[in-house]
Amino acid sequence: MLILTRKLGEVIRIGDEVTVRVLEVRGNQVRLGVEAPADVRIYREEVYRAIRRENQEAAIGDIAGLDRASEAWQKQHGKS
Amino acid sequence: MAETARQILTAPVSAPPGEPRRLADVPEDRLIELPDGLVGMPHARRFALVEPTQPGSPFHYLVSVDVPGLGFLVCDPCRFWPGYVSEVSAPAGMEGEVAVLAIMTMGADGREMTANLMAPLVIDLRSRRGTQLVLDTGRFAPRHPLPALG
Repeated sequence: MLILTRKLGEVIRIGDEVTVRVLEVRGNQVRLGVEAPADVRIYREEVYRAIRRENQEAAIGDIAGLDRASEAWQKQHGKS
Repeated sequence: MAETARQILTAPVSAPPGEPRRLADVPEDRLIELPDGLVGMPHARRFALVEPTQPGSPFHYLVSVDVPGLGFLVCDPCRFWPGYVSEVSAPAGMEGEVAVLAIMTMGADGREMTANLMAPLVIDLRSRRGTQLVLDTGRFAPRHPLPALG
């Protein structure tokens, strides 16, 4: 891991197009400003992990799941 | 997502009843491409959207062409949450008409279905390219129970 020390308002640059600026430090909270091209996806780590887990848990191995869901739907809504 | 949008997105993989529906039947230009993959699944880039055989079913099956055995039950969130799509802004570069799909989970018996409104798929209808957005606003959760319709 690369460890850098930065003061308020200072910036680190990642590659040519991504910068991270220290905007505010208050107690144990730090506000960061990230500038990056629109196609770079930026997430808070816990949000990334949560969505990754959801995707993994939502994955189903075969199309039978579609039939099962559709049949359950028809039962609930009285269509045959 | 309008009915026409669904028709545009859906790959023609309908097979006679009892016959397996085969991915190999999907022409290249009917695939949906997510260049960045799904969140946490960067290799799952190309998908086909398979129609349900049950008429009126609001669900589709989004199956990966790149990762064998990977697929998702998805729904058109407009059917269940009419105001939702207006809360989803298309990412930069997607100026045209887009479709929005929500990835679902369900219990073993097909009940207890939920939709991931926090991380919808947004797909440009013209290019058939899309992305999984993450709406980190606190308004939407990864598991919204499906409301009963009428």
